Amino acid sequence: MSAPNYLIAYEATDRGREAIQLGIALARLTGAELRVCIVMPRQSVVPAKVSAGIADYQSLLQRQADEWLVLAEAQIPADIVATTHTVWAESTSEGLLRAAEGFDSDRIIVGAARAGLLGRFSIGSVANGLLHASPVPVALAPRGYRAPSRISRITCAIGTRPGWEALLDSMVAISENLDVDLRFITLVQVGTAPVVTAEDSQEHLATVLEYFSSRATFLGTPTTEVGEGDNIEDAVDAMDWRSDEIVFVGSSRLASPSRLFLGSTANRMLRTLPVPLIVVPNV
Amino acid sequence: MSDAPRTDSAPASDSQRADEATGLSSKGLSAGSIGLLGATVIGISCIAPAYTLTASLGPTVAAVGTQMPGIFLVGFIPMLLVALGYRELNKAMPDSGTSFTWATRAFGPWIGWLGGWGLIVATVVVLSNLAGIAVDFLYLAIAQIAGDPAIADLASNVGINIATCLVFMVAACYISYRGMETTKAVQYVLVAFQLIVLVWFSVAAISLFSNGGAFDALAFSPEWFNPFALPSFSAFAAGVSLSIFIFWGWDVTLTMNEETKNPETTPGRAATLTVAIIFVLYILVAVASLMFAGIGTGELGLGNEDIQGNVFAALAGPVMGPFAILMSLAVLSSSAASLQSTFVGPARTMLAMGHYQAFPKRFAAISPRFKSPSFATIIAAVVAWGFYAVMRVLSTDVLTDTILTLGMMICFYYGVTALACVYYFRRVAFASVRNFFFKFLAPLVGGVILAVIFVTTLLDSMDPDYGSGSKIGETGLVFVLGVFLLASGVVLMFVMRAVNPAFFTGRTLRRGEGRE
Repeated sequence: MSAPNYLIAYEATDRGREAIQLGIALARLTGAELRVCIVMPRQSVVPAKVSAGIADYQSLLQRQADEWLVLAEAQIPADIVATTHTVWAESTSEGLLRAAEGFDSDRIIVGAARAGLLGRFSIGSVANGLLHASPVPVALAPRGYRAPSRISRITCAIGTRPGWEALLDSMVAISENLDVDLRFITLVQVGTAPVVTAEDSQEHLATVLEYFSSRATFLGTPTTEVGEGDNIEDAVDAMDWRSDEIVFVGSSRLASPSRLFLGSTANRMLRTLPVPLIVVPNV
Repeated sequence: MSDAPRTDSAPASDSQRADEATGLSSKGLSAGSIGLLGATVIGISCIAPAYTLTASLGPTVAAVGTQMPGIFLVGFIPMLLVALGYRELNKAMPDSGTSFTWATRAFGPWIGWLGGWGLIVATVVVLSNLAGIAVDFLYLAIAQIAGDPAIADLASNVGINIATCLVFMVAACYISYRGMETTKAVQYVLVAFQLIVLVWFSVAAISLFSNGGAFDALAFSPEWFNPFALPSFSAFAAGVSLSIFIFWGWDVTLTMNEETKNPETTPGRAATLTVAIIFVLYILVAVASLMFAGIGTGELGLGNEDIQGNVFAALAGPVMGPFAILMSLAVLSSSAASLQSTFVGPARTMLAMGHYQAFPKRFAAISPRFKSPSFATIIAAVVAWGFYAVMRVLSTDVLTDTILTLGMMICFYYGVTALACVYYFRRVAFASVRNFFFKFLAPLVGGVILAVIFVTTLLDSMDPDYGSGSKIGETGLVFVLGVFLLASGVVLMFVMRAVNPAFFTGRTLRRGEGRE
């Protein structure tokens, strides 16, 4: 059986470096190989009076991509197997999806922060494009992410709406033979008219735990926790978070089958949390 | 979907094979996607006929009067000959693609550098002209929509004009920097719109002529098609120089190979179809404009210096009535789209020159995020806007003068490239009949014609009455501009040689020659 592989959406920016850091962390956790991909714009004829010299430009872009990939390789420790690739595509997310399909990748890892002057954390356009279209889980590296020496805990944020089993099935597979802490959480908004109460959530988590334990070969004991707050951000803040953990969330039910979409809860978690989020598609 | 390890995933050592299987390692051209219609649309987009005609009708009438249709036909010949040479260079050096690399590989660094410089200068000049036309038509369109003619006059306020031009430049530069491209659908719509409006304009002008409503009715004469009925060679040269401008961009279709569905036949057929459509359109508009407006210097006469730089802005209203707004939108969209796409050419040439150390290294910078030539694109915008601002202040008719300067610059860099073709293939020129015609005779004749036109128009432009009549001291502004732009290139070339001799000593880009 060969190792799984994770596709890294690389660009020679902080976003790309953050994606590589998350790739390192996840590769150490699961022994996966990394496919570092840089997407370069596919050229077409430019309708201008001055011939825009596609051929020249093409080879210069290729050289630049090679240089950038050498820099990318230098960021990856020797104990991790990684390959580098240039992908030519009309759009970055299209190229990444095609590459992930070609490599039969198990995840796509991308720097999620939006580049720009505004500073406020929101999801960049590439990550956003992937979240709307990827058939495989997308791992989002937060701004300034550095790989810890090892990941000590996996948190699985799980909702009460139908479809949570899909995420749990993935967790069963992921946690197999892993030596980490595992925790299942739900977030509860204690607003004026709570749809879901803390008691409901506790009950739900018990069901979740039972579902998980009956299937998983996970060695440790999973824990459960309910986060409460006036809004999702407060609920997230109220819980304890480790710098060396990763969070799994399911994709929103808005998404078409087996396509990802980040729900509003997950979106708000990403804004609040400085930990990586892995979004798993509904099957 | 499970996130567990899979049994069928490719091992790392096979990644290269996976690359090939999925086409990941293929080059970045969108291969085989363009058919005959698409290629023709691109060809017409490149030429941007609505913009080109409004900018060139006036200066052409000023140079050749009623012989305009004839000169348009003759002016295509040098363009055709040079483009045939381009096609041979493109085939022989698939890794090169601009006047800069071609001329360097043929003639070595010095002439190569100047060839690249000529292309950059021509683009900077056309960018400023495109922006100028766009500014005029922006205010005209607003005036037509608001029903207040006073708004159109805002364009003649130098401060407002320069500031509006800056807005256009920044927008176009930003779009290019982001690496965004005009989609095919938008190109189709823009081209169809231009063609419809131009035909509408011509039909309306000719029917006004028939029912006596023309401004200065001029009966059609077949003699208009005789390019040799001109009083002097100078007039002929000026006319041909302008014709080069109106067909400028046509060569792009010929060099469009990998992208077409059938590289053997599509580019040639598309280029033929493009030029056929453009011929019909240009002749129609030229004849209709002459019949309606005449060549006098009256209010709407094509000889009127006040309207020469932007003819449709003055004629569309009287000819098309309330539908003149369509002409404004056609020219505005055509020039704005062209403004944006024209940024790409000089930016890539400067990038290549930066890479080969013919320009400072900074020009070679590629944006890690957008993967576009970042520094070069910004410099192109700054220089084009600066050039426009200075010209606005110096010239009484900036559009006419920039078009005349432009004709000269295009002759220069096309000429250099055509002769580069002849020289590059010198050892195989007589190897076959085909070689003789396409690699030797066509580019040689084309190059020589362009050289003669270049020298003639340059000398003639010393006359202070040339073009708009703007002058510096007792010398025509167009001459001063032409000499200044080329001489500053020579100076910068020597500065660059002193700062970093790598390119000039042949260490970054080697000379070569075509062999069988």
